[in-house]
Amino acid sequence: MRWVKGAALIVATVIPFILPEAYLYILGLAYIFALMVISWDLMVGYTGQVNLGHTTFVGLGAYIAALLQTPLRTGIALHPAISIVTGGAAASAVGLVIGIITLRLRGYYFALVTAILPLVFMQTVFIWRELFGGEEGFTIENTLFTTTLEKYCFSLVVLVASLFVMKKIVDSRIGLRFMAVRDSEELAESLGINTTRYKVLAFVLSSFFAGIAGAMVVNYRFTVSPELYGVPLMLLIILSAVLGGLGTLYGPLIGAIVIYLAKNWWLGDIIRALSLPINDEIVLYAILIAVGILMPEGLYHELKGRWVKSISSGEK
Amino acid sequence: MRHAKAVLTLLILVAAITALCAQPEKAEREKVIIGVIGPMAVPEGQAEEKAVKLAVEEINAQGGILGYKVEVVVGDTKLDSNTATSEFRRLATVENADVIIGGFSSGVMTAMMETMAETKTLFLADASSPSHAQKVEQNYEKYKYWFRVSQNNGSTFALDLADMVKFLRDSGYEVKKVYVIRDEHVWTDPVIEALKPLLEEMGVKIVKDVKIPRGYSEYEQLILEAENLNADLIMPILAISGTGDILVKQWATLKPNLLLAGHDLSAIDAEFYEKTNGMANYEIFIADGGALVTAPPTEKCREFVEAYKAKYGHYPESHQAYGAYDAVYLYKMVVEMAAENGEKDPFDPDVLVKYLERFNASNPVQLTRTIAFYDNHDLMWGDEYVRNWISQWQDGKQYIIYPPSVANGELKLPPWIQK
Amino acid sequence: MIETLIKIFLFGAVVGGIWGLVASGFSLIFGVSRILNFAHGAAFVSSAFLAYALVNEGYSLYFAVLAGLMLAAVIGVVVYALTKPVREREVMVIIVTLAFALLVQQILLILFGDRGVSVEPFVKGVAEIGGVKVTHMRLLSFVLAIICLTALEVFITKTNLGKKVMATSQDSRAAMMVGIDIEKMFLLVMVLSSLLAGFAGILYAQIFAVNSEVSLRALIYAFAIVILGGLGSLRGSIAASFIVGYILVITITLLGARWSEFVMLLTIVAILVVKPTGLFGVEE
Repeated sequence: MRWVKGAALIVATVIPFILPEAYLYILGLAYIFALMVISWDLMVGYTGQVNLGHTTFVGLGAYIAALLQTPLRTGIALHPAISIVTGGAAASAVGLVIGIITLRLRGYYFALVTAILPLVFMQTVFIWRELFGGEEGFTIENTLFTTTLEKYCFSLVVLVASLFVMKKIVDSRIGLRFMAVRDSEELAESLGINTTRYKVLAFVLSSFFAGIAGAMVVNYRFTVSPELYGVPLMLLIILSAVLGGLGTLYGPLIGAIVIYLAKNWWLGDIIRALSLPINDEIVLYAILIAVGILMPEGLYHELKGRWVKSISSGEK
Repeated sequence: MRHAKAVLTLLILVAAITALCAQPEKAEREKVIIGVIGPMAVPEGQAEEKAVKLAVEEINAQGGILGYKVEVVVGDTKLDSNTATSEFRRLATVENADVIIGGFSSGVMTAMMETMAETKTLFLADASSPSHAQKVEQNYEKYKYWFRVSQNNGSTFALDLADMVKFLRDSGYEVKKVYVIRDEHVWTDPVIEALKPLLEEMGVKIVKDVKIPRGYSEYEQLILEAENLNADLIMPILAISGTGDILVKQWATLKPNLLLAGHDLSAIDAEFYEKTNGMANYEIFIADGGALVTAPPTEKCREFVEAYKAKYGHYPESHQAYGAYDAVYLYKMVVEMAAENGEKDPFDPDVLVKYLERFNASNPVQLTRTIAFYDNHDLMWGDEYVRNWISQWQDGKQYIIYPPSVANGELKLPPWIQK
Repeated sequence: MIETLIKIFLFGAVVGGIWGLVASGFSLIFGVSRILNFAHGAAFVSSAFLAYALVNEGYSLYFAVLAGLMLAAVIGVVVYALTKPVREREVMVIIVTLAFALLVQQILLILFGDRGVSVEPFVKGVAEIGGVKVTHMRLLSFVLAIICLTALEVFITKTNLGKKVMATSQDSRAAMMVGIDIEKMFLLVMVLSSLLAGFAGILYAQIFAVNSEVSLRALIYAFAIVILGGLGSLRGSIAASFIVGYILVITITLLGARWSEFVMLLTIVAILVVKPTGLFGVEE
């Protein structure tokens, strides 16, 4: 398995020399999207708590970072790297507060409250328009990277680093506790594990990386807008994670990149070429339903299972 | 053995990606490429695409631009800024579009202007936010490739709304008090700011200014309140609320003693009357973009509307169609002008910007509407140029009732009004 | 002053009534089969769209409405079929039903565009109650909603079939052991609740209008109301829907239209934080 990761890394570093700039731009955005998806998996796949409001933190990270980089609105101008980290920290702080309050509740209450959250935050963007820019969003002023190549490399680096950190966490004792909460909360409690504490921890970590991803989008596009809080983004995240396989980190990573590229690159072309009277969203949702019913473990486990089988049967 | 299989898969993957994106070196020009970008899932984007394709078909039938065949490439913004910037970039750098037309939706436009500045592509745009023209003013060299073609700057709505009130008065319907219902959105603020002093001058008072969030539906309470405050009309300033049909429906059901007159984007839709089961009758609205299917302001516009119907089976589904069609012909005109003047590269965006700027107040061009630009590349507003005609739904059809130079109908008051 | 109170009373009641129909269906499904049916909003809007389309083609209003209700029932059956294999995994149920809801939303978007449509009202005209103008349609919807909800309550508590449904909701394994076909119960409940939602959708489209976005919005309201009232308590959901209706109307009257949704969402979150099991909820 290990050399597959190595090979993937090599491909990722070599690609800038092959791909035209426009596609590199999309790929870089795909990496940021993947970060959103993996961080969601950290919470949902490993602790089993369904978080329907992940985009709250993406949006929070984005707006905080954007505001810190636009002196016209706030009088502050921080270095982009600092504002990105601050965005993540602010998102995780909010995650902490919300986590402490809601994770005491049963699963579906948590799902509901988190589902409502992004809507509430989106309203704040409209109501306090002078600061947040309303529906149109606003442009930020000082940025770190200007060429697509720089942006791509930055996304790649941040993605790899975050993935590394998250993998370390799930492979550690903390990760084991997460999974204990997911597999049987009652059993975990009876073993003396403070399930609420671990759920909150997962939530805080998950929202931190989501916030970072949001802040990165802003530095990529130079603009911020309320759709980062939106439901369509949340659904895309869910689709990617489920497709890839919850609770594996690598599955959602692959799922995210595949789905993002599909949605923004070739799915539209295929549909147009075949002149089908549908749009790409319909295809994606149909896939999600099929995967949910037929392959609930996700692609990662399917492929891994086949791989293992072919190894054990292929080895002579 | 198992290593080889996987390595092979990886190589194939890399080769596939390369093949998908490898572009031949750009050598001699073989054709002209026009890009259309917009949200293709909604009528605005679809109308833009169809109008551009219609124009290109016509132009190719007459020999193309400077003898080159014209091709159309399409980008879908999905009303999302990330997607829009990627698509714009793709059209500009991968498809090598010479000019990009469209946009729709101010927020997404703001994001795309950044990409436009990077790729230095001519952008003949729509969307109405004044902030876009402001960018050109503040940083000309960076944003000069942008020109607003489809409709006027949002703040001109105030001028049209004030004229509408004046027209109602002149027609015998006294207006002293106005009840405003507007979108909770940054676009309505400059409109109301500009509108207030104009109304004050006429002695008209705004008795209440209500902001509604997107998807709002409880208009009945507001209508009843307006009646209680003795307002003479309810003035909607709506575009993104998406519920203008509910407003007109509830107004027609309650039959209050006041008119419904203002800006409602959904009322411009040709199927609005049908979708509201006829309740839209007597609503007065202003027609963005300066053209209506049933009231084309120029001969060319009338021809365009019929050609559109002939090719697609229905009339233009949104006013963006006129702007997109005009943009294509505008582009053709300036390229030909540049070639005539002996420019080395008549397709160079920096050169074409200068020629587009020649269409100013004293030198407008008549396409489906009469087009001219201000210094900041905004679309010129006025009776002889483009303005948002005051119109009214009457018995299933849209009529322009003001100004007289283009009017093809008269003001009709709803039968339940007693003034 | 009196007029304002009358206005609030009347308007709040009507809004509450319609949402009560939607929420009661949602509550029924969750109470009985523990399924969080995110596709509930799909039944709500689809029936209205079909009714609109048929009326446009020239069919009579009543036929169109009936067809719309049929469609809602069919959607109920489809959701039942989709969720049957994954009922054990909460995450999957949410995901599958949510994806289905969005699929329907996209289909409606393609068929009808993103502008709203309304259905011809059953009755036209305006009445005056205590000096306040209320449309006949609003009054009728209120009456119809009360009738439906009462019928539902009677069905659940008085009829044999209803009691079987209740038994399944309290303990599905015990119900199975006593010989109740729980699969039939699940299917029945799914169809019944979708019918309620579909009917509410048609009423909604007669007073207001529906577009493809409304389905998600209806879902969130239904979800919020049911949780507010307490999961598994039908009466709780009905009470909660009126509370929500009144909060909405009061906010519009006192604070202004722009705050309506924000305040309502915030109130729901606040109540949940203080009393997580909802107002009338049964502790699990």
